[in-house]
Amino acid sequence: MSGFDTLNVAWMVRDGPAAAREEAVLEYTRELEKFLAEIERRAFRMAQVALRDPDDALDVVQDAMLKLARNYAARPSAEWRPLFYRILENGIRDLQRRRSVRKRFMTWLPGAKEDPDNEAQDPLENVADAAPAIPETLMQGQAMEQLEVSLRALPARQREAFMLRNFEGMDVAETATAMGCSEGSVKTHYSRAVHTLRQQLTEAW
Amino acid sequence: MTHSNNVEPRNPIELSGSFEERSRALFHDSVESVDFATRSHLTQARHAAVEAAAASRRRAWFSRLGFLTPAAGVTAAAVLGVFLWMGSPLGHHAATVADGQPNLEDLEIVASSDEGSGDAMDMLQDDIEFYDWADKAANSGPATRG
Repeated sequence: MSGFDTLNVAWMVRDGPAAAREEAVLEYTRELEKFLAEIERRAFRMAQVALRDPDDALDVVQDAMLKLARNYAARPSAEWRPLFYRILENGIRDLQRRRSVRKRFMTWLPGAKEDPDNEAQDPLENVADAAPAIPETLMQGQAMEQLEVSLRALPARQREAFMLRNFEGMDVAETATAMGCSEGSVKTHYSRAVHTLRQQLTEAW
Repeated sequence: MTHSNNVEPRNPIELSGSFEERSRALFHDSVESVDFATRSHLTQARHAAVEAAAASRRRAWFSRLGFLTPAAGVTAAAVLGVFLWMGSPLGHHAATVADGQPNLEDLEIVASSDEGSGDAMDMLQDDIEFYDWADKAANSGPATRG
């Protein structure tokens, strides 16, 4: 084999796997980007319903995206959705716990009785003002506002089950994976949530 | 969400069937009305996550090649050894001996030594006697040894 042939083989050996590797990485990142683009706004709204604050909701969604990408993106793409929502819900719970601790701590300080998180936030501030406020849009906004208030009043697991099953359209098995519980528990949480919400909202709506 | 032809706005809750469907429709409407600033932030977050995933994937690919490192090291060392051997004077020396050609340089050194040439001839004579004795001893067998 001449020196030229040897060099050619060496380049093929070097470039072949590298090109295949880059192609695989590109394909994989395209799939991940498509998945995240599809769910990001729903995830943000679900986090906002739970946390009220849009900045906190944005932070939690961003963290969930990064954690999924770094730790679980090598998993089959069919598993991404329940994993993502599990990470998101853990983030929401962590933030709520920190708020609760901070609130308890603040009550011990003299002159710091007011917790900024307790200030009633007008949900209408979060409604986009791109379209003119026609009465139907206003009614939808008010109905959504009532729904959000009722969802926040639910126990965390019921709220989670309702949002994943109803808003995200997950089946029972996927919801169970996302919540880290059995399918029977998902059914119980969901039916209780629907019962409570229906009772509260049918009168208000 | 279903829209009626009635000009008068109606409560959106009345427009669809079950409670679950109504609440889902409201939620999806609210998703569509997420403001542009938030959408932009979400896009940035998504790009950052995808970049992180690509970097993580590349690292994983390289780490998967880790088991090949010892074999690659041994092969590289063997190839380098062969190249060094073929390119060194030792290699050339081995090649000339293998060809069966006499090494004339060594003979010249012996032949050109002027000092003590008489001693050299005596040593040569002693060697001849020794080889003669050794030959006889070998042919006579172990009984005559000594």
